[in-house]
Order: sequence, then C-alpha cells, then structure tokens
Amino acid sequence: MPNIELAETLVALIESVQAPPETGLLVTEAELDVPLEVTGGERKGELIIFGSAPHSRWIAGVLPPAHRGRLRVELVDDATPQSYERGSGGSRP
Amino acid sequence: MMRRRNPMNAARAARGLEPQTEAEFVVGDGSFLVEDFINAITSQLDRVQDALRLKAVNRPLTYALKDLSLDLQVFVELDGQGNVRFRTSGPNETGSSTVRLSFTTITKPMIEENTISLAMTRSPSLSEIGLDEAERQRLEQIGVRNAAQLERLGQSTGARAVSRWSGISAERLRQAVTQSRPRLTDIKPAPPSAPPPVKTPPPLVKPPVTTVPPGKTPPPVKITPPILVKPPRPDPFPPPHDAPPVVRPGKTLVAPISKNVIQVEPNTRRLQLFGANLIGEAGAPQVFFNNRELGLAEAEEDRLVIELPENLASGALEIALPDGQQLTYELSVANGTDPWEPE
Repeated sequence: MPNIELAETLVALIESVQAPPETGLLVTEAELDVPLEVTGGERKGELIIFGSAPHSRWIAGVLPPAHRGRLRVELVDDATPQSYERGSGGSRP
Repeated sequence: MMRRRNPMNAARAARGLEPQTEAEFVVGDGSFLVEDFINAITSQLDRVQDALRLKAVNRPLTYALKDLSLDLQVFVELDGQGNVRFRTSGPNETGSSTVRLSFTTITKPMIEENTISLAMTRSPSLSEIGLDEAERQRLEQIGVRNAAQLERLGQSTGARAVSRWSGISAERLRQAVTQSRPRLTDIKPAPPSAPPPVKTPPPLVKPPVTTVPPGKTPPPVKITPPILVKPPRPDPFPPPHDAPPVVRPGKTLVAPISKNVIQVEPNTRRLQLFGANLIGEAGAPQVFFNNRELGLAEAEEDRLVIELPENLASGALEIALPDGQQLTYELSVANGTDPWEPE
C-alpha cells in the first residue's frame, strides 16, 4: 500500500465534491461512504495513520481488507465562525 | 502549513511516562495503543482542517469536514502492561472485530467543558512524585494521572477510598501528595540583569581647576567619595556562635539573624525564590511586601523572580503559595549594619 496519509485522502475526497464550475451547480452538503485501506505506521517517532483507496474492487487474499469511512461534508462561508473556532484547529489565519 | 506538536508525546508527558521508543507506537505485530491511534487520527483531521482553511484564502466558499466515522476491521489485543491495543487485520485474516470511531467538530466551549484544564496538567506527574510504574498504572485505572488529580480525588472521596481502589497504601499516597506540594527552599537577591563592568579602584582625581571671573565667587565643589569595591560580604545566615554581637556605639541593636530574615542590599531590585512545584493549578504564588502585592518578573516551576519596590526599606515579605500555605519573612535592608557606611 502506498504511504498516503489519511489527511491527504480526506482532502482529496472533500475536494471531489465540488461540481465543475461550468455546470453552475453548487453542492452544499454531501455524505461520502467509501472503502478505505487504513494502516498505522511510524515516521520520525510519530504514529502516522495512512489511508487510501483500496488497491482493487476485488477481494483477494493478498490484499489488506478495506475498512469503511463515512464523511459528512458541508459548504461553509469563510465568515462562518465555526470554520475557525475549532479548538484544535488554532486561530484564524 | 504550521507544524503541530505531536499530541501523543504531549499526552504521554501529561501522564508522566518517559519518552517513547519507536517500538512502543507500533509493536512488532503492527498493533498500537488505542489512545495513540485516536491522537494520530485527530492529528490527521487537524491537517485536513488546516488544508481546507488555506484553500479558503482564495475562495469565498469552501467545504468543511463536519463528521467522519471509520469502521475499522481490527483485532483487539491486551498487552503485558494491561494496555488495549488495536491491530488492523491483514490480508486473508478472518474474525476481526469492527470498531466504529466517530469524530465530529466541536467548539472551544465544548472542549473546555469536556476536557481537563491546561492548568491542571501543570501539576507534577505521578512519576515526579515518586510513584513507580505499577502504582502509576493502578492510579491511571481510576482516572488519576497527576498529583493534582490525586489530591482532588483524595479530598472528595477520602484517602482510604483512593487507597482501597488503587491498592496503594494510604501512607504511600500521603508521601506522594506531600512531595507534590509547593515548597520554598531558598530566597536570594537576584543578580542585576546586566552586570556592571568590573572597575579597578579609580585613581585619586583632583577636582578640576576652573577659572573664576573676577567679582564672582566660585561655586561649591561637590566631592564624591571614591568608589570602593567591597570585599565579599560574610554569609548572611551564619551559624550561631557564643560570642555576643558587637554593637557599635550609636547604632541600634540589630536583631539576631534568624532563618526567616532575608538580608538584602538597599539597591536590590529583584528577589529570587527557589523551590519546587511553585506554579500550581491556581497559578503562581502571590507575594506581598508590607501588604502591597509585588509583581512577578519570572515564574517557573522551581524559581520565581519578584520585583521589589524602589526606595526599599525593611518590612514583612509574605508569600501565599498556590496550595494556600502562607509564609512570612522579614526582609531586612542592610542599611544600619553596613560596615562600609561612613561613620
């Protein structure tokens, strides 16, 4: 499994929700239910969670099992306080 | 992107565990501690939030990850130290458990409501108050991870209850709590921040010769005494001896120096207080001089620096430690006993 951090996969999934500009559509909320290959690894003394799309849609005895991830994504205005009031997210840039 | 502090190390530090070796995060069979795993996932979610916020700089609208739930196929194991570990199932492994973890966004008030205060994490860890690994584990099982939590639990449930639940003798717990209390060990005048250059005794300088116009009286010449480098003062806390104190005629009798007397020079601007656990949950100690609160220039766990008022005179120095102890000292300014004072 390639060492793709879970954060990168999640950002890519969230970005995928955006409709192409030429369609004129605006997705305001989405729920994604996706299979994920999730493993833990070590990098520079830190436990890193890797997560990526499965190798294959087929189940094979040589491939790690797919776990399940559910994401709820919402469109937010940057002025919405919640986008920067998360305690662990630090202050607004 | 801003580099974040490793939350796992912070959590371990709060628990008083030694820095972890690589093997402890992911052991040979690929298993990891549940709390490490959750911390690592949280770190990944913070990275997601940071990335989305950066993207929002150039976009009026952006997406936010509101909830994430993961159904993980894991084998739940218990290691030799009684820690629960997760191991993700490998290829072709059957019989794994499904663990569902749900993460959601919360606001600062919710965090403050549901987590221990940062001030409480300042308290000494269990290892710092002399408890061994087995005792630490037993206390962690009842939710005690530092000295402040141990003391709080003892106050609310009683020392015997804590002892019974943890299997640690009450005497041992009392010793540990006593060790965690703030204490002062020494008080000394702080050296000046910028030490003055060492001067050799100045040569005797004749007053400057000025020419006075006829008809005017010369202004009085102010002669300043030469600056002398004083020899080191004797120990301000000498051991008592039999000889009576020498009293110079015309001087007031100075009280014998006791442990609670701090002697300082008149030009002392700062005092250093040395000790342990000086910063408590309620903050730094309060220091009063003649009933007037003094400012803290520096505050660390083992050292405080307090600002003394200008025109320092002798008086009472009171120190209120974070646990409520009140210590009183007599601050004696060495005006009347200065052997170098001109007669």
